[in-house]
Amino acid sequence: MAIFVNMVLGRHFPKILISYGLCLLLSCSLSSCTETDVACLKSIKASLEDPFNYLKSSWDFNNSTEGYICRFTGVECWHPDENKVLNLRLSDMGLKGRFPVGIQNCTSITGVDLSSNNLDGPIPDNISAIIPFVTSLDLSSNNFSGGIPKALANCTYLNILKLDHNQLSGQIPPELGLLARIKTFSVANNLLTGPVPTFQNANISREDYANNPGLCGGPLDPCPGSSKSPHT
Amino acid sequence: MERKVGVWLIFLLHPLWLALGNTEGNALHSLRSNLIDPNNVLQSWDPTLVNPCTWFHVTCNNDNSVIRVDLGNAALSGQLVPQLGLLKNLQYLELYSNNISGPIPGDLGNLTSLVSLDLYLNSFTGPIPESLGKLSKLRFLRLNNNSLTGRIPMPLTNISSLQVLDLSNNRLSGVVPDNGSFSMFTPISFANNLDLCGPVTGHPCPGSPPFSPPPPFVPPTPISLPGRTRVQRNL
Repeated sequence: MAIFVNMVLGRHFPKILISYGLCLLLSCSLSSCTETDVACLKSIKASLEDPFNYLKSSWDFNNSTEGYICRFTGVECWHPDENKVLNLRLSDMGLKGRFPVGIQNCTSITGVDLSSNNLDGPIPDNISAIIPFVTSLDLSSNNFSGGIPKALANCTYLNILKLDHNQLSGQIPPELGLLARIKTFSVANNLLTGPVPTFQNANISREDYANNPGLCGGPLDPCPGSSKSPHT
Repeated sequence: MERKVGVWLIFLLHPLWLALGNTEGNALHSLRSNLIDPNNVLQSWDPTLVNPCTWFHVTCNNDNSVIRVDLGNAALSGQLVPQLGLLKNLQYLELYSNNISGPIPGDLGNLTSLVSLDLYLNSFTGPIPESLGKLSKLRFLRLNNNSLTGRIPMPLTNISSLQVLDLSNNRLSGVVPDNGSFSMFTPISFANNLDLCGPVTGHPCPGSPPFSPPPPFVPPTPISLPGRTRVQRNL
């Protein structure tokens, strides 16, 4: 018996290892590999400070029944018994830290709500590579700083984009006007300047731009140097 | 005198209540007759009872009318029946992860209280009925991983309550709408089908212009796109 095992392992072990690895890779690519969604949530939990233990108490990765992450606080899955995250709602949990880039491994995520926390630092420049299918992104009421990334214009499925009540500065990338599905867009209460984008299919109100030091155009006062407000 | 009238009324109404209870029980029993149930999950479905509310996997409201049918992961095969459309208070129809085949009955469009329709991971064939557009309270429509064919019915875009749509892994073709409620849905909802087209899929429908800079005019040629299944991951 031992000789047999020795023979098999000795000669064929590398082949077994390779084919096992290939099988794993194949199964990951043919179906949506939901090991990644577990890694996504683990990474988010690791990268954020959680002073009120909202995540610590509910996000327990030791229980491995099918679809277990679907029972986590703030996690909504595509199907109740499959670890595939649809929406992440972590609003008002006192969370601290940077934008959790580990969310990139939630490859089927469409809704991201991190509003009303204490997150800081920049919104990642490559946001459209991190959450390409996002339809609703709410980062409002945090301490995000730096510019609004142009890459948000590549998140073509965005319906709701809320960035209000942060410390975002610079200009709003005019390319955001290309987002054809936008219904809600808010950047009020930031440090933004310059002309507002011209949206194709949405009417953004004054309130959505309010309380920024130098925004102009659209529903606001005309930009300096132009004769009239640009119309959509 | 009044007591006698009262007693007569009870005798009069009692069979009526029996009959009402039985409509839904009969409908579910028709379903049982059309399904193959190797694990005997439907063993408690006794049609001689006054209503189906004591049956396992059936949930009723306070008026003894069926609001949930929970038969996910039950190793069932066979086919559905149009009588399901008679469960007028049904909110949750959970039939996922079985081996049920045949068409999705158009009568499901009569379930106007339906909030969740989960037929995913089965062997359903035929089209998605247009009548599903009448399900104005529907929040979850998960038909993924079947062998459904034909087009995505436009009336589905009118269901404003729709939150989760999964039509992936079927054999659907034609244009994918992106208006109405469908503006919230991404390529994920439509991945791995036969021949879907439109902006959300990344390749244009035959006869319509491509999405980015228009090319020089070319006389139209008859196009027959071969069937293909691709995971759509491009933006």
